[in-house]
Amino acid sequence: MMANAAALPAGVLLPESILHSDGFAILATFVAINTLMYVALAFAKILPKAYASDWIHRTRRRSETRSIHPDA
Amino acid sequence: MGAGRFNRAVGLVILAVAGGAAALLWFAVAAGDRPTSGTPSEGIVFGVWDVVYDTEAPAPRIAVAAIALALLFAAGVASLERRIVRRSHRTTDAGQAPLAPQLVMASTAGVYAGPVTVTVLIPAHNEEASLGATITSLSSQSHRPERVIVVADNCTDTTVEIAHRHGVEVIESVDNTHKKAGALNQAMSQVLPGLGDNDVLMVMDADTSLDQGFLAVAVARLTDDRALMAVGGLFYGDESAGMLAQFQRNEYIRYGREIRRRRGLVFVLTGTASLFRPRALRTIAESRGLSIPGKNGDVYDTASLTEDNELTIALKSLGGLMISPSQCTVVTELMPTWRMLWAQRLRWQRGALENLGAYGMTPQTFRYWAQQLGIGYGVIALGAYFALFTVMTFAQDSWIWFPFWVGLGLVFVVERVVTVWKGGWTARLLGATLFPELFFAAFLNVVYVKGIFDIALGRRATWNHVVHTLPPQPVRRAG
Repeated sequence: MMANAAALPAGVLLPESILHSDGFAILATFVAINTLMYVALAFAKILPKAYASDWIHRTRRRSETRSIHPDA
Repeated sequence: MGAGRFNRAVGLVILAVAGGAAALLWFAVAAGDRPTSGTPSEGIVFGVWDVVYDTEAPAPRIAVAAIALALLFAAGVASLERRIVRRSHRTTDAGQAPLAPQLVMASTAGVYAGPVTVTVLIPAHNEEASLGATITSLSSQSHRPERVIVVADNCTDTTVEIAHRHGVEVIESVDNTHKKAGALNQAMSQVLPGLGDNDVLMVMDADTSLDQGFLAVAVARLTDDRALMAVGGLFYGDESAGMLAQFQRNEYIRYGREIRRRRGLVFVLTGTASLFRPRALRTIAESRGLSIPGKNGDVYDTASLTEDNELTIALKSLGGLMISPSQCTVVTELMPTWRMLWAQRLRWQRGALENLGAYGMTPQTFRYWAQQLGIGYGVIALGAYFALFTVMTFAQDSWIWFPFWVGLGLVFVVERVVTVWKGGWTARLLGATLFPELFFAAFLNVVYVKGIFDIALGRRATWNHVVHTLPPQPVRRAG
């Protein structure tokens, strides 16, 4: 795809000046910010998920059995 | 119900919120200072490749803010969801949450209702091709179900004969016009009254097979916790060949990984295979038309296109405890063509939106709203990305590399590969190539947008069904 793009004649479909327009600059920054946000989310997905409760030591003991067997 | 319902407006609400968020960012960008693009430099890579590159990167202040915002959103949604779940587990309000664990515990204290037994309902509409494998996967479980009932709904093929041949019971639906949900309601009205507190009902699709150990784990969970109202399966795709199948497999692998990372916190009690305590199903039927949508007396809401998603929200709304253990996995059928996938996803999307519209904004639907809004924003973000790419491709005189952005792209590649690692080399390879999956995401985004517009414009939605037929039986020669 990139090779094709490089092989296309310059500015055939769109004038190159569009790249220096204000609208394009806004679009580029909009996409840049979004990309950074999604990169952060992608990074979070790579790493193991952290749970605050794992670090807070709590002895979890039920006051009564939850089993279907009343005397369990 | 009544108050808090959105119905058709759900599409407009999502459009407005996701679009509003994007517009806000757009205007903030337009109002602020933008970095002026520097002149690209030229360099030689590996001594032969002449490249033009641009070292442009966003200002650190903006980059940090964007990253922090995204992580805050993700962490905020996750922690809010956990808080809601914890609170609903502690409630003792019998009017609002009759299935709350403490209430169930109190009403069953000191009573032994017998061991956990499993009755499987398999709704089937012309499923002759896959039903046999489904029944076999049940009978070969280390913990076999006590009863298996095929709920034959308007079948014109050999579904009923196959069920009989495998020695399981059959309930045929009568004058059912409400598809799967209607057939299941009819079957449940016959089966439910005879079941005790620990005689759980499992609903399982006829195109699905249980992995070994599914029932043993589910039964152990239901034995250990009498307040547990439902156990949901985790599905992954079958081994169909082709790129489209691999896209779907990757998607399911990532979904399963996400549920495991949520430590079993249920998103949807999948229709492919989930178990319910009779108390849960009875309470849902009694509450319909009163505190939750639907017709009083029906277990499943026949108006919903995604009855499993609706049942999950119903159960959550009534305070029921549920879990998706990581060992409870099932293999399900993948859509064989793009057209079928389109229809399936449009139904899922439409169903999810309708369910949100019917329930409105409640603590129990918060996570589902967040998901819809997240996808909505993603559609806009990906669309903007494609737009930028297109403009650059057609307006530049030579290809310019942006090392900063290529570097970030590598993070995406790693994420795509790591999240499907379990799927083997084919899955990883597809993930690593990034762009095919990006186009698959774009396809799903188009479905999403169509779903939103359809519901906003009040268009009718329809079911789809993969038609299977058995291959012709080879004629056996004598001798």
